[in-house]
Amino acid sequence: MLKEVNSEEFKELAGKGLVLADFFSTTCGPCKMLAFVLKDVEKEFGDDLTILKVDFDQNKELTAEYGVSGYPTLILLKDGTEMKRLQGLQQKPVIVNMVKKHI
Amino acid sequence: MAQYDLIIIGAGPAGMTAAIYGARADMNVLMLDKLAPGGQIINTNEIQNYTGVGTVNGAELAYQMFEHTQQFDTITFDYATVKEVVDNGEEKLVRCEEDDKEFTASSVILATGTRPRCLEIPGEDKFRGNGISWCAICDGAQYRDKDVVVIGGGNSAVEESIFLAGIVKSLTIVTMLDLTADPIACDKLRAMDKVTIYPYQDILEFVGDTRLEGVHFRSTKTGEEKTVNCDGVFEYIGLTPTTECFQDLGVLNQFGYVEVNDRMASKVPGIFGAGDCVTKNLRQVITACADGAIAAQEASHYVKNLK
Repeated sequence: MLKEVNSEEFKELAGKGLVLADFFSTTCGPCKMLAFVLKDVEKEFGDDLTILKVDFDQNKELTAEYGVSGYPTLILLKDGTEMKRLQGLQQKPVIVNMVKKHI
Repeated sequence: MAQYDLIIIGAGPAGMTAAIYGARADMNVLMLDKLAPGGQIINTNEIQNYTGVGTVNGAELAYQMFEHTQQFDTITFDYATVKEVVDNGEEKLVRCEEDDKEFTASSVILATGTRPRCLEIPGEDKFRGNGISWCAICDGAQYRDKDVVVIGGGNSAVEESIFLAGIVKSLTIVTMLDLTADPIACDKLRAMDKVTIYPYQDILEFVGDTRLEGVHFRSTKTGEEKTVNCDGVFEYIGLTPTTECFQDLGVLNQFGYVEVNDRMASKVPGIFGAGDCVTKNLRQVITACADGAIAAQEASHYVKNLK
């Protein structure tokens, strides 16, 4: 599943299973291209991975809570615990390998 | 192993245009990129000189170009980091880092572009990604109402400085020469009240203990040294070609750029170059697209002659 969420929805979904949080900005080019990559990542994992997209500018408290200072930032959560963090536009194989290690 | 007429390495404007021209010339095309399509333009907030589109966001233009390539059934896109191209005469072998992926084709276009150059001075590694950035539109927001230094005076430095000046508390530009960007952009930047410019400086060191605290530099005219305190630095001091994986092909010049003729052909038959990674004077989206068109056209002539 790939879904854009607000802070409340994020908190509801982030503690369940394997979640890849994508903190993005609508004004950021690398964020837009990461969205392109994440669509392919979603196809690869199907129901095994939930991808939650969080608008950095609309969810300031949540980004502060997770210590996100720049974008795009990817945080992999397993049952709510941070397993890995990647900053900037990432290669699809890097994201896929990171997720596979925690499935 | 899949066999293609043409493999394009790099899916920026040059590579995507080459793919479209290659497909229209009846070639079976594989386009490879280690990241998403787009190349350097995804880091550009506004492109204002691509004929016919007025002002456009770089990532949006990249998306439109990619969607254009997907109108052709004969263009395949794959994520791969190429580690080597081997010239076996009429067959070119492209080796990738991922899972030992390998592809072969009759012709190859090298369109891997460039990446930002680094200063390689003390403190740079320490604060890389944590105080020092190369992308204002990615990391600029975290410096809202803070003090920022931009290093460089070319088009990228000046354009990104204008963007940053709207966010930060103070912006200091330190450059090795004077501002060398388009005069209109330089005048706009000079007129902004938060901006201080130090031309003709050698950048000596990034200062700070656990976090970046400032930039130390010395005037090349007077020898006077100065440290400007700041929370963040953006470096725009030029580009370096992303061509290391083509080293063994013998097509690079001493600076690492792919040497091509006016038909975008390298000295190795069947190997072509396009976009920012080739020897040229003007590196723009529009010239990259033109290179891609010419390279694909020449590749199609080359492949047809083989058959």
